[in-house]
This record gives sequence, C-alpha cells and structure tokens, in this order.
Amino acid sequence: MKPFTYLIPKTLDEAISLFESHEGRSAYIAGGTDVLIKIKERKLLPDYLISLKHILGPDRPLLNADTKELYISAFITHRTLERSTLIQRTYPILHDAVKNIGSVQIRNTATIGGNLVNAVPSADGAIPLIALDASVNIYGTKGMRSIDLIHFFLGPGQSVLEKGEILTEIVVPPLLPRTGGAYIKFGRRKAMELPLLGVGMLLSLDEDLATCVKARIGLGVAAPTPIRAFSAERFLKGREVNEQTLTEAGQIAADEARVRDSIRGVAWYRRELVGVLVKRMGFTCLQRAGLKHGDSEDV
Amino acid sequence: MLANGTTKIASKLAPTINDRHLLRIYDSAPFKSCEKPMTNVYIVGQRVSKLAAAEKATGRSKYIQDVTLPGMLHGKILYSKYPHARIVNIDTSRAKKLQGVRVVLTGEDIPAIRMGVYKDNPPLKAGKVRSYRDEVAAVAATDPAIAEEALNLIEVTYEALPAVFDPETAMQKDAPLVHEAHKTNILKMPWKLHYGDVDAARKEAAHIVEDRFSATWVTHCCLGTSGSIADFDYDNHLTVYSNTQIPSLAQKDFLGTVKALGLKNRRVRVVKPCIGGAFGSKLDTYAYEHVAILLAFHARKPVRILFDRKEEFIATSTRQPAIMDIAQGCDENGKLLFRDITMILDNGAYTSWGATTPSVMMMPISTLYRVPNVRYQASCVYTNNTYAQAMRGYGNPQATFAIESSIDMLARAAGIDPVEFRRINANQPSEVSPQGFRITTCGLTECIDRVAHEIGADDVKKKGEGIGYASLIHVGGGARVYKSDGCGTLMKINDYGKVDVFTGATDMGQGADTVIAQLVAEELGLHIDDIHVIHTDTDVCPWDVGAHASRTTFIAGNSALGAAKKLKEQIVKIASQTLDVDPQQIELNDRMAIFREDTEKNIDLGKLLRKTHFSPGGNMLMAEYFYDPDNENLGRDFKGNLSMTYTFGTHGARVKVDEETGKVEILNYVAAHDVGRAINPMLLEGQVYGGVMMGIGYALTEQVQLEKGEIMNPNFRDYKVLTAKDTVPIEAPILETTDPDGPYGAKGIGEPGCVPTAPAIANAIYDAVGVRIKDLPITPERVLAALKRKKGIDSCGIDPLTEKEYDCT
Repeated sequence: MKPFTYLIPKTLDEAISLFESHEGRSAYIAGGTDVLIKIKERKLLPDYLISLKHILGPDRPLLNADTKELYISAFITHRTLERSTLIQRTYPILHDAVKNIGSVQIRNTATIGGNLVNAVPSADGAIPLIALDASVNIYGTKGMRSIDLIHFFLGPGQSVLEKGEILTEIVVPPLLPRTGGAYIKFGRRKAMELPLLGVGMLLSLDEDLATCVKARIGLGVAAPTPIRAFSAERFLKGREVNEQTLTEAGQIAADEARVRDSIRGVAWYRRELVGVLVKRMGFTCLQRAGLKHGDSEDV
Repeated sequence: MLANGTTKIASKLAPTINDRHLLRIYDSAPFKSCEKPMTNVYIVGQRVSKLAAAEKATGRSKYIQDVTLPGMLHGKILYSKYPHARIVNIDTSRAKKLQGVRVVLTGEDIPAIRMGVYKDNPPLKAGKVRSYRDEVAAVAATDPAIAEEALNLIEVTYEALPAVFDPETAMQKDAPLVHEAHKTNILKMPWKLHYGDVDAARKEAAHIVEDRFSATWVTHCCLGTSGSIADFDYDNHLTVYSNTQIPSLAQKDFLGTVKALGLKNRRVRVVKPCIGGAFGSKLDTYAYEHVAILLAFHARKPVRILFDRKEEFIATSTRQPAIMDIAQGCDENGKLLFRDITMILDNGAYTSWGATTPSVMMMPISTLYRVPNVRYQASCVYTNNTYAQAMRGYGNPQATFAIESSIDMLARAAGIDPVEFRRINANQPSEVSPQGFRITTCGLTECIDRVAHEIGADDVKKKGEGIGYASLIHVGGGARVYKSDGCGTLMKINDYGKVDVFTGATDMGQGADTVIAQLVAEELGLHIDDIHVIHTDTDVCPWDVGAHASRTTFIAGNSALGAAKKLKEQIVKIASQTLDVDPQQIELNDRMAIFREDTEKNIDLGKLLRKTHFSPGGNMLMAEYFYDPDNENLGRDFKGNLSMTYTFGTHGARVKVDEETGKVEILNYVAAHDVGRAINPMLLEGQVYGGVMMGIGYALTEQVQLEKGEIMNPNFRDYKVLTAKDTVPIEAPILETTDPDGPYGAKGIGEPGCVPTAPAIANAIYDAVGVRIKDLPITPERVLAALKRKKGIDSCGIDPLTEKEYDCT
C-alpha cells in the first residue's frame, strides 16, 4: 500500500484548508473502510489523508423536539446508529439497513456520511435515507449548502460534491403520522455482504390505516445510482394498501428499475427481486405503521 | 435410535478435561468389531483442547508472515496479462536499475524445472503464457514496495493467441492447443474403470435415470495466505520455510530445483511455520516456492514471497471442476443394477492434483452403495483457465453430487422412499467391493437411520420445506497413492518423564498434534501436557507422505503408537529390573510404573528414568517406528484395496425454499459418520462442522467466477465464502465401529464433512419444491429459473433454463 501522511484537523475549516493546501494530492478519510480499499487497489493514491473523525460534532443522531427533524452527523458510525434507541424506535427503516452493513468491526468504524459520499449504487445507508426524503448539508469554501439526497448521486462513485467539499450532516424531515418503513438487503450471505438488491420503503397511511397517503420506494443496485421508484410511489398514493396493490406496485417498480447484469447478479433476477421485495416491504410497512399508530409524534 | 445395540453414539458425552483420572467413559461400551473391549482408556476419547489453542488465540503462533531472516529480501511475481499469448519480448532493464532491486528473473533465465504430476509447468514461463496466472517474471528487492514497483517497470510484449475456455470445445480437433508439443488438449491420463456388464444390466433394469450434472471452481479460502522463504547457506544447502502439507515430498521437489541449478549433492531442509489452513491447497509445490529458491540462489540472500489475498485467489489452485453424465438403474425392488458415468474435467492450463481426482472419484462411483456393474471414464482437458488442485474430498464431493442426486431421482422413479432406497443398497461390514476395496467396519446403515431420525423425517413439513439425504464413502485408513503410504515417528523421554514426539505428520490446524499427543499419553500412562509433538522440520522429523486423504490420525497415529509401544517396552523393562518384579505385572499409569501386587513398590516415572540414566552404563530411552500400512496401490485396471479402512457417513438437510426469490435456507443439518472411534470428539466435531460449512458454501454460494480465463471475484467481498453469521444448526452424531486396524479403532474424518453436503441440499430442495438443480452452486437465480420453468412461466427476455436472453416475440 502506498504510504501517506495522516492529518488530523479539529474543525471543518481546518480540514478544507488542509485539502486546499495539498490540492490534488489529498483525500478525506472518515472510517476508512472504503478509502483504504481504494488505496490498496491503487484506485486512489493520495499523499495526504485528512481525517474527518476528530472534527467536533454530535456523537449521536438528534431529534429536534420542535421541528421533529432528525439530524445525523455524517461522521457517526453505523454502529452508533444501530444502537441508537431513537433510530430503533422511530426510524426502523434506517435500523434495518445499518445493522446489516459489513460486520460489527466494519460498522464500528465506517461512517454514514462515508457510505453516502462513496456513492455506489449498493449503498445500504443511502436507500432508506432516500425513502425518508433526507437532505444533506455540504460544507465547502463557499459555505454551507443543502441538497436533497436523491439528487446527490450522479453516477457510480460520483456525487455532486465539489473538490474539497465535505458532507457534514443528514437531515430527515418529520415523519407523517401512521408511517411505517422497512428496508431489506437481499444478499447471498448474512454478513460481509453487498446487496444483490436493496429495497427501502416508507408508507404513510390515512386514518383508516389502509389508504396510502404517501409512498416512498428507494432501490439500491437497481440503477447506476440509488433511485426512487416514482411510478410505483404514485400508483400507491391514494390506494388501499393490500396484496393486490402491493403486487402491482412491485411490478411497476420492477419495470422502472434500470437493472443490469454484473458479476454479482443478472438483470432479470434483480428485476424479479424488485417486484417481490417491494411487495414484502410494503407489508412490513403496513404492519409497522399500524403498530406505531400515533407513536411517531411523541418520541 | 439405532438399529441395534452394537454401535455407540459418543457425541457430547464428556466434558472437556485433560485429567486422566476422571473418566473411563468407554469401559462398558459395546463395540461392533473389536475383539477385545477397550479398558482403562483415559485420554483417548476425551475432548482435549487443541494444543497451542491459546497461542493461536492470543496471536503468539508464528505463521510464515511472522518469520523473518537477517538480510532477507522480498520477492514478487509478475503475472500474465493474457489468457493465451506469445511472449514476444520482456524488457527488464528498467526494473533492474531501480534502487533496491537485487534480482530480476524471467523464464529465459532459469534452468529447466517442471512442476506438477504431469511435469508441464515451469515456475517462470518462457515463450508463451497459457493462463492469467502464468508467472512471467520475478523480482527480489530490499523492500516489498520496491519489488512491487519493479514489477511495474518490467515491459512485456505479448502477441495474443486464440484461447479456449470450455473443455468440450477444447476437445474438438480444430481447438487452439494449450501445449503445442502435447499435440492434443486431452491429457494422456486414461481414467477408465469397468466391471460387470453395464450394457446388459441396463437392459434388465426396471428403472433408469440419466442426467448431466456439473460442479464449478471453488477455492480453499485459507485464512493464512501462502508464502515461502528460501535460504541458501554458504555451502549452498537450502532451507525452505513454507506452508506445506507435504514436507517430505516438497523436500524432493525443492531438491529437484536445487539440482537443476547445477548444485550436486546438496541438502534441503523444509521448515513449516504454523499453517493457517490448507484443505489440500498445499499438497503440491507451487511456482512461488520454486521462484523464491531461484531468487535466493541468485541473490545469495534469503528471499521471502508472501501472497496477498488477491494473489491467493488468482495464483493458488481451485477444486477440480467437472461435467458429469450419469446413468443409474435398479430393479423392481430398488436394488442398484448399474452405474455408468462419463466425466469431462477442465484441467486448466497446467496439471496438478486436480487431474488425478478421478482416482478418488472412482471410490464413490464403484463403492458408494452396492453396485454390481460399473463403468466410469473421465477425460482431463487443457484449457486456458486456472488449474485445479487437491481440495478436501479430492473429487469425492463432485462425484457424490452426481451419484447422490441421481440416487434420489432413481428412488423416486422406483417409487421407493429415498431413505429406504439407501438402506436397501447400503454397504455392509466385511465385504469386498468389485473395485477391490476391502470394507472392514461399516456403519452406513446406522448412519442412514440415525440421520433420518434426527432430521425428523416423519415430522410434518411446512410448505416450501423439504428434507434431503446423501451418503458418503471415503478412505479412512490412509490411501496408497504413492509407493509408500508411510509415516515415521521418533520418540525420546527425558529425565522427568516428558516425551518429545518427532512425527512426520503435519498439523495445519486440524489437530494432528493433539491427537498424536493423546495416543502417546494413553499408551505411556502420561498426561497430555507431558507430550511435546514436533512436526515442523524435516531435519528432525521422519518421512511422511503428507497430510492428505484424511490419513493423519490413522497413519501418523499408528506410527506414534508403534513408537510409544517400543518405548513402553523399554520402560517396563527397566522398571521390572529396578523393582525386581515380573514385567507382566507392571502397568504405566499416572506418570508411575505401577506394580499391582505391591503398590509400595510403585515408582515415579521420572525417578525411574533418572536412576537408569545416571547409573554406571547409563541409558536414556528412545524409540522409533515407521508405519506403512498394508493397503494397495490401484493397479492398471484401477482395482486394489486403496485404504486400510473406509469411513462412511450420511448427511441430512432440512431446507426451506423461498418460492418467490429462489433463496434456500437450511433449517437444520445432521451429519452422522462412522468414524471407527473418536480419539477426540471435540476436534472430530470441529472437523465435521467445518466440513459441512465448506460443503454448504460449495452447494449454495461459492464460485470462482471465470470470464474468459480471468478471475472476476478475487476477494472475499465477491467470493461468497460463508461467514460465522451464516452457520446453520448442525448435529454431528458420532458412530463408533472400532476399526481393527485404526489407532484405538479410529478412522480418518478430515474430509467427509464436505463430501455429501451439496447433494443432500439439492435433494432437500427437490423434496421442498420439486425442482432439481444439477449445477453448482445452487444459486437463488437457478432455483427461481427452475421454478418458473416448472410452472411454465418465462421471465420476459430471459430463458429461465439457460439464463440467457432470448427474443421476447
């Protein structure tokens, strides 16, 4: 592995200024579970690694009591999210995802922000956050900007981050009442696994606990970037959520998925999975929305 | 629930204890075939922890990565960029000029050295490359990074040649030749076995099934990656530190390389550091070992080559892939009448032990169940793919996948319950199979019954659930593959009654050291921690043919017992002289020489030994023994009693198939084996658990994905070896038949755990959802495609059978 100098800034501004002073020869690192592999594979050859781990910030996800917005610092680990009772109780869709990433060892070091900026179509962390309508805050020399996560990804390994910019925070808007969410990573084994397909779904129900008022379907590995199945979402909105409508929504989502063949899986199978897993996640959402009737307001 | 009371289940019966005072668990046990019941057995049969387990767990064990020598250089190998190409030119001048580089070698710079069973593989290739893993050049430098950089500076000009990746294509007349001088891609290894009259039996058969099965490349996934250090001394004697399972045979291979360098009459010493798993991968010598020797010779310094994980995937060998056509038939009553098998084996570009796996495949083909008429023929074919090696089971898992899947089909065709069908045809004790295997003890029927009971054959199955079975036969008492199947032991006992055992055996994590220590302690009336087993150095350890064929407990165990018996004789003799009693009256127990009739006379062993040592004309006790069993090489007709005894077993899997996704979940798994006798039930269960998990990976998830000869998934992210989280509930009942030739009745159990796993699972899937998957691994894609095909549904644009696209219109 090519040697590098490891720099430890304490503030975002210091990190950015270090990046600029070593422009072209530096890279940011947080947990390092993606960056170090890239260095080993010689896909990234920085002379300087600028650590973002020591920048002061919240060490857990925080819910704003007034706005009901959830704030997640980009630099906290998957393990922190996994063990957060807030995430477990109120955002099970995110808990489903973070608890199955890599292994405990990886989750102990890999950060949620790193999972996003790596911008792979299989990012387990991104799919539920997309379904949650999350936005991300990005800090750079020009100051802070915010963008909806769904627009953050441009292609495999590509995002809207400009040179030197840092993704600092994820903001999840308030949940509607009677909302259920669920995520499934479909893989070939139970740990150390990338999804063959990832489906994150969020359904908000009307007071009858049957009619869908809002649907979000995030798909991983179904296109070159994490995507939403917009047509399937539109189809569900206003309809009663049941076997028939979920099956149909699954089919619509399968049709709009832009799956392809890779060494990890063939397109036709991924398309099959979209249909099946959207239906199944829909049922889990339905169940969770019912269980959590009224709960989501007062965590 | 056993059919009779003659076989004993010893699983989970004793706590883990090392103290010989506490238990005599086997005293009253009934044994099937042992004349004399075992009495006073203390350490044999105990769940003794693996020796040096704490060293391993605390990181003190030294692996090849931990071994460094003064002045050591670091070697790296440059691999081919093409699957088949002429090497037009290699320019090493820039690499040689790099500071820190000591030696650069290409195929043109080395003497004629040919590795492997077919002698077709030079450690560095000259003239042309035949696969992506071909070694083109090598560098030794003062630092691994410098060596790596030097590789980048070597400029190789290739001229691509037409390549062939499919063995059936490679067999055709106009196919590109992998080795021109060989004239054909078909190896001249005529694997042919025929007895009885298959064609006549086929006409008589009431039920016949016929099908094609295939097994693909998988790899060993040793956690300890490969590596080697070569070091010539001033007089050009060579020491090689290497992760080998065959120290004595490797010594011979390395001596060949030393001779090729023009060095006459030199010594070669092989030292084994701690081995982080082998599973057959280290049964041959590899290019990197010979390259290290060549680099060290030219550098006049020790040279170490270490593989990283990617290199481990690319440049070590796989399990032998196979295309298997099988037909079997039975009569109205379900009695097997014939078995007819033809195989095509993708040999890859060079030949290692993979090409000889048909020799072991013949064993299940001829002798798994009683079959009066058998025909088998296998062709190994050169391609531009990677080449295969020995891997746990050595061809048996492939052959058993075809046989046991086909048995299941035949049972159903005959309308007989698959368990009953297997019972009808089960091998029995004291029979000779037509291939000449003399079966001594055999608990196959008991294994079948036991598994059917444990797996819950009679329980109600939920929708999508199914149960499948498969049995196995494997060599359990050595395997005479070479002219010798022997192993030597040297033994000395010091002034304090501590024994050093120098064995030819190789411990690679499986516990050979522990089992040998248990046997020796048992024989000499000592405690386990009185025994020190040395197995790491050909300078001090006697010859052994290698840690293969599940032979170490049986062969090295018998060898150690032989030496221990000789040592015991000497101890008893000096005790009888010292105590002035009849030697017949003396027992060795609890570190004492015991005289039953007058316990006052009992004497501490150390005291007795010191007395003998420090008296005039003093003596220290030592013993040696070389055990070479009475088994036979296969003859030209491939008949002969290959092993002293055979291990049998039956596996049962209960699975649940997700009919919407094709995903298979194993709910529980039972693997019962007739092991003769469990010397150490804990290590034995460990072997079975590990074997089963390896077998499940083989069945469901693992595959080295080759695209036009290139490995696409050389990492654990994409090579789906199973993880700790993927373990399934496994029951491993141990059935003891006490083999008359085994050490304390033991048979080998190293490999069987992964032999019948894939067919047991495939049969369970059929039982669950009525689709038969004939190709490994049984991926969800394959199951779903088969389910769709069964229901007559096409997945638009995709043929669910071939998984290839077709025109939707």
